[in-house]
This record gives sequence, structure tokens and C-alpha cells, in this order.
Amino acid sequence: MIGESRSAPYGGARSPGQIERELARLRMNEDGSLGARASVLNLIVVTSEESAPEVGRVVSELSGNYPSRAILMISDPDEGEANVEIGLSAFCSVRHGMPGGSRNQVCAEQITVHVEGPPAEHLESLAGPLLIPDLPVFLWYTDGGVPGWPGCDGMAVLANRLILDSGATGDCEASLRGMAALLEQEDGVPEIGDLQWAALSPWRSLLADLFTPPERAGELAKIRRVEILHDRTGECQALLLVGWLSGALGWRPKSAEDTAEGRAFRFDGPSGDVTVELYRDDPEIPLRRVRLYSEELSFQVSRYGEHADARSTVMRGEELLGERTVHLGSSGVGDLLGEELRFLGRDETHGSALKSVVKILDT
Amino acid sequence: MVDTQLSPDVLRGDPRLPKVPEPGAMVIFGASGDLTARKLIPALYELVARRRLPMEFAVVGVSRTEMSHEEFRARLRKALDEQRPGGVSGEIWESFASGVFYLPGDTNKAETYQELKGFLKKLDVERGTEGNRAFYLASSPTLFPTIVERLGEAGMNRGENGGWARVVLEKPFGRDLASAKALNRDIRRYFEESQIYRIDHYLGKETVQNIMALRFSNSIFEPVWSQHYVDHVQITVAEDIGVGTRAGFYEQAGAMRDIVQNHLMQVLCLTAMEPPVAFDARSVREEKVKVLKAVRRIPEDEVEDFAVRGQYTRGWVWGEEVPGYREEKNISPDSTTETFVALKLHIDNWRWAGVPFYVRTGKRLPKRVTEIAIQFKPTPHAPFAGAENLEPNVLVVRVQPEEGVSLKIGAKVPGSGFEIRSVNMDLLYGTAFLEEVPDAYQRLLLDLMLGDPTLFIRADETESAWDILDPVIRAWTGKEEIPFYPAGSWGPEEADELIMRDGRKWRRP
Repeated sequence: MIGESRSAPYGGARSPGQIERELARLRMNEDGSLGARASVLNLIVVTSEESAPEVGRVVSELSGNYPSRAILMISDPDEGEANVEIGLSAFCSVRHGMPGGSRNQVCAEQITVHVEGPPAEHLESLAGPLLIPDLPVFLWYTDGGVPGWPGCDGMAVLANRLILDSGATGDCEASLRGMAALLEQEDGVPEIGDLQWAALSPWRSLLADLFTPPERAGELAKIRRVEILHDRTGECQALLLVGWLSGALGWRPKSAEDTAEGRAFRFDGPSGDVTVELYRDDPEIPLRRVRLYSEELSFQVSRYGEHADARSTVMRGEELLGERTVHLGSSGVGDLLGEELRFLGRDETHGSALKSVVKILDT
Repeated sequence: MVDTQLSPDVLRGDPRLPKVPEPGAMVIFGASGDLTARKLIPALYELVARRRLPMEFAVVGVSRTEMSHEEFRARLRKALDEQRPGGVSGEIWESFASGVFYLPGDTNKAETYQELKGFLKKLDVERGTEGNRAFYLASSPTLFPTIVERLGEAGMNRGENGGWARVVLEKPFGRDLASAKALNRDIRRYFEESQIYRIDHYLGKETVQNIMALRFSNSIFEPVWSQHYVDHVQITVAEDIGVGTRAGFYEQAGAMRDIVQNHLMQVLCLTAMEPPVAFDARSVREEKVKVLKAVRRIPEDEVEDFAVRGQYTRGWVWGEEVPGYREEKNISPDSTTETFVALKLHIDNWRWAGVPFYVRTGKRLPKRVTEIAIQFKPTPHAPFAGAENLEPNVLVVRVQPEEGVSLKIGAKVPGSGFEIRSVNMDLLYGTAFLEEVPDAYQRLLLDLMLGDPTLFIRADETESAWDILDPVIRAWTGKEEIPFYPAGSWGPEEADELIMRDGRKWRRP
């Protein structure tokens, strides 16, 4: 069944045992033998009817790198009558070009559960019995909203890690505050990941690289000004970047204001005032350029318009001291989700960046 | 105003961000050769593209061939394009190539090194390489002592202005124990052991590293991984190809020096070593050396009881008739170079006392495969009728081509009665992780620049390996007869006899 997606028709509520048997049947090879399953995680996705097709596609593509059982929960609690429809599919993909010219086959399973009416308030009762035992559970809320607490506690107790997207709601500030509040909860909250934070990883790495040479490391304490160009969808990334820089570099927030072009923040840095300006940019690139100025040097990481490449430069005035071009990597939802699925523990750096953002916004 | 210093790691101290080496330059001696174009430059390009090397990184090729920087870059780009058509980004290549340089020069002459030294100092200023240098000896091994001596004489065995200097040697590390010792002595006249990186690309393979992951991250295996439960171990490194274009080298080396002394001994170490206290260079290499020291030396007059060599003759491999070794291009028609080696080794320590390790390697065997098979002792008593012939459990760790683990267990055949059959349970790692596997050279070059020698070979490892094999090599030297095996078979009959004498047989991988 390589490269072939097999599905069972939607049907009403079936028992977990029936679902397991049906999934095994879908994985069966033509000769009747059972395709081996080697899963590394469970992924529960809570999504809406409108987003479901796209989310299903992302999850299927992801299965190549993360063989998993994905459980898509599409819920509508506003429907008066209780109704549960379950669809099953299995997909095996092959990767060629492995060392030695061999190929590998990876199989993944997807269970789609449409829930209407009162059961939609108790998704955990449906998702829990469908999980593969002993494997980590990731819980992805695709529509951006930070689930209310303790509103999501039923699902959250199933999960080791909650994956959110602060950029998906259109109200970035509220999302980031909500996430920071979740982090403050003491008990029962799983670890938290944010796709917008995952998108920042290459940017953070490239910025850190600029200060790797010992003679430039000292410039970190002398940063006076930061400019960040972003579009509407990149506002959360820009704010998280400011939170990361200010937290790591020991900047204390002094003021925050909206400007005609975006936002401006002022900080008390270790060797004087630091200004951070966020500029809204037109092209549809979430993060387009980050530029840091010290007394003598300027450091820049910028993305090419059409390419997934980034150029880093170090300048003294007009003099170019160093430059390079590298892959920035893809920032599609699937890639960012994949990046989050690699990580299981508590992301202390993310937590501290979030706290710094809230502090800055509260100034 | 207070001029506060921040730690340079303040932005990098995040486990989610990759480790990036300090600035530095890599000098490749023998840069016009195949290894540079086929392995080193593609690996470096990939590391640059993936943001794993710093902006302040430069490559300087040194070789006799007269070439300009531009010609050298064009040659490398051509090779890269051939290797990955359409997979090279123009912008990234330009960015990388602007830091690639070439110096033509005779590596025997002191002037070459003075010129190189001046050039590297210039790069320190212009490209910020900070006085850090890695010297990669991709040239003929006969030139290693001279290059190292000249580097030392030119004062390049130390980095500039407090920077570091490292030297990388490609295998073979000598031809025997005496020459390996001499080579190590020559190199250590100028470089300390901590500066020397002996590269065996086998250790850079994810699949080889996975042997350690399997053993030391799964507590179910460790308790049975000893003479209490293991009957014997078989390690196979089989190639289906012939000598190919390496005739000149292979005629001199043979399977013993080409594969057994390095790859096979390394796999033996990883299979038999005690758990290291940490995954760092000292701990891991210390444990590997202990294994090599515990391998019982084969007396020269008993070599026939413990070692078999062979040479392939014409035969059929994968539906194709292939020539015998002596018929290959540039091979002597009366060559006695071995293309197959099988050894029976004993590791005289607490864990492995009495457990034979049968190891074999060869060219033109039926298929390309590297595997370690741990055969367990039979159950002390079989309560089921007809179960006397039940095969013992075998745990196979397959390194290539399809990496995975297979366990042979006894299971009841459904139905009445209690008939037991052996069943293989296979797990291919590839069915759990499809992530792109980095090339072995990428991993090792990055470790080199990061200053992590864990996956490189220490002097005492290579010397101990030679010490084990020297008596066998001496016994074979000068012998005019060599057992033959047809290409496409699993080696000469003598290899079967070697293991059958112990009442065992080779697995068919």
C-alpha cells in the first residue's frame, strides 16, 4: 500500500477496538501480511470544519517524518443534537535515496472525529481511548485561540505538549498574554509550544552567529537600536524576538508606544538606552529584516523576497565587514509543526521571552 | 556609563539552537584530489547552507596543481553540480565560494608553508578566522609525516594569537604496528594528541552511532549482553563491489588494512565496550581501547586456527558476471592480496570471557551489508515436545543498507498442540524516522570545527588494532597461495571451516 492512502468510509460511533481493527486492515499489504507500524508520537488536533481539509493535508505530509497516529477532532458544540462521525485512513510513504540505495517505508494513521452537540464538550472522552499507549501526546489547537483554562483541562491532561499558534488569531497581544498566563498556571498544564516561536529559530540562530567572534561579542552590551521589519502576520514573531533579545541582554522596559509605522519600545540597557522599532512592511513576508546597531557597527539579517534564503551582514558605517547567505528554511505550517514535534521538554527560553513580551506590553 | 560585558553565549545558550563552531579556516592538503571534490566540499557547502558554520569560515586548498582561486572554485562547483543536479543554490554557493581559496605548492618545500602561513594571517584579518586552523591531510599517506613536520617547523602547529590548530588524518594510519607507531610519533613531535583527529568516516555514520544508542539507551539489552547469555557474536562487513578504481591502493592494502584494521575493529569496539560514563571523547575512547587491549593476541604460529583470507575469482553477482580479482585492471595476475578476511577473536574480560567473536569482510560477496548478530545461548530446557531443534534467539543489529534491529524468537504455531517456530521480529529504524540523514563527513567536519574528537580515533586505538592484526599479517606475508572464492559467494570454504570447527555456522545476512 506504499504511496496509497486508504480510507474507511465515515461511520457512526464505533468502539476503540473496532477502530483499531479497521486501522490494522487498512495497513494490510496485498498479500494479507500486516504492514509494520513504527510510531513515535500521538498528535491530537483540535480544529474547525473550515480548517479541517487543510489541517488534514498538513498532518498527512508530516507523517513522512513523524510516523504517528493523528486524531483530528472537529467539534461543533453548538449543534443541539449529539452526533459522532468517525473516519479512518492510513498512508504509507517511501523515502528513496537512503544510504546504500535502500528505501524506507513509513506508515501513519489518521482518525478524523466529527463531534456535534454535548459530546463536543468532552473531546477527551473520545481522544483518550484512541491514543497509542506509551508514546508522547502532542495537542495542537490550529485556530490560534489560546484555550481557556481550565476549559481545556480535559484535553490537556492527555497531552505532554500543547502546540499553539499565537499568529493565527489576528490579535497577537492577546494570544501572547494568554500563553504567558497559561505558563503561570501551576498544575496540570502541559509544556507549551508556539509555531511563531518555532519560526524564529533560524533568525535567532543567525543573529547569535553575528556575535560569535570574540571581538564582536562585546558589541552585544553596546546595542543601542533595533529595527524589525515585519508584515501583519509576523507581528507575534517580531514581539517574541524583542522579548528574547531584551530578556537575554538584560534590557529593562521603560516605555512602549504605537507609532505611525508600527510600535516603538524603549529600554534601559546595561550600557544605556536602547530603542526598538517595529515597522509594518507591505510584502507578505512575516519577518523581513532585523537590524541591530551598536555604537560602531550594524548587524543585519534579512530575507530574500522570493527565496527561503537569508543574508547576514556586519557593517561599520558603509564598510562591509562580513556577509554570507544561507538557507533560512521553510516556514510553512507543516515545517513549523514538525519543528515543535521534535521538542518534548520545557522550553525555558520561550517562556522567558514570553514573560519579557508581557512586561514590555504592560509598560 | 558602565561598559558591561555579556557572555558570548547569551544568545546561543538555548538547546533548540544548533551549536556553531568558532571562526576558523580549514586547510586541505591534496585539494586537487577526489576526496576534496566528492566528499569534503559537498559536506562543507551543506554545513554552510544549513547555518552550521560561522560567517567567519574559510577553506584553503593546497596542492601541486597550478590553479587560480577561481579555477579551483569552478572545479569544485562543477563537481558539486554533478553530485546534486539542480540542488545547489547560486546565492549560497557564491557566498560560500567567496571564502574558498587555493594555493598551489609543493608540500615538501618549506616555502609553501611560509606562503600558507602568510595567507592564513591575511584571512584572519580579512575574513575574521581568528587564528584558528584545521589542517586536513587529504593527500597520500606517505606525505603525512612531511606535511606535519613542515607545519611544525613553520610554527603552524599552534593557532595564531591564541587560536587553535588541529590536524586531520585520513586512514590508513600506517601499514602495521611499527609504521603506525612511527607515524604517531612523527605527528606528536609537533601536535599534541588532543590536536590530532584521525578520521574513519564509518564512525560518522548515524547508523554506526546507533549501535551505542541501542545498547546504552535501552536497559533491556544490557543485562543479556554478556557471556552469561551470549553464545557467540558474528560481525559482517560485506561489499558486493570489486576493487573498482582503487587497484593501486588495494593491491598494497588488501581487506585487512582497508576494512578490518579500522571499520571492523571500530564496530567490534562499539559492540563489546562497557557503557561509557559520558558520551565524550575521553570516556568513549577509553572504553574502546579497553576492548582492543582485551582482545586475545593470535600467536603467529596458530594463525591458521584463527584467521582465513581469500581472493575472489570470476563469478556472478546480482545477475552479472564479474571478473576475478586477478583479472581486474591494474591488478597483478599473480596477486596474493586478500579480498576476504575472516577472524575468530576472543575478548578476555569479565563480560566476554569464552564468547567467540567471528568477524568477516570481503569484496564481491553476494550483497552489501554490515551487521552485528548476537546469538544467544539456547534455553536450558525445552518443555515442549519437538522443540529440541528450536533455533536460539538472535538479535541482529543491521547497520546498512537498511538500518534496523531484528530479533528471532520462538513462538507457538496457532492450533492444537504446542508446536514452536522461530519468528523474526523486524524493526527498521527507517520506518520510525525519515529525517534526512546527514552525510558522515558533514558530521565529522562539524565535530572537528567544534573541537569534539569523540568520533575520531585516538593513537592508542589505532596501535592496539594493529597489535591484534600484526601477527596475522606477518604470517600471511610472502605466502604464495591464497584460498579463492567465486564472486557472489560468502567467501572461501576455509572460512566455513573456521567456524564449523566450533560447531557453529555463518549466518546468511
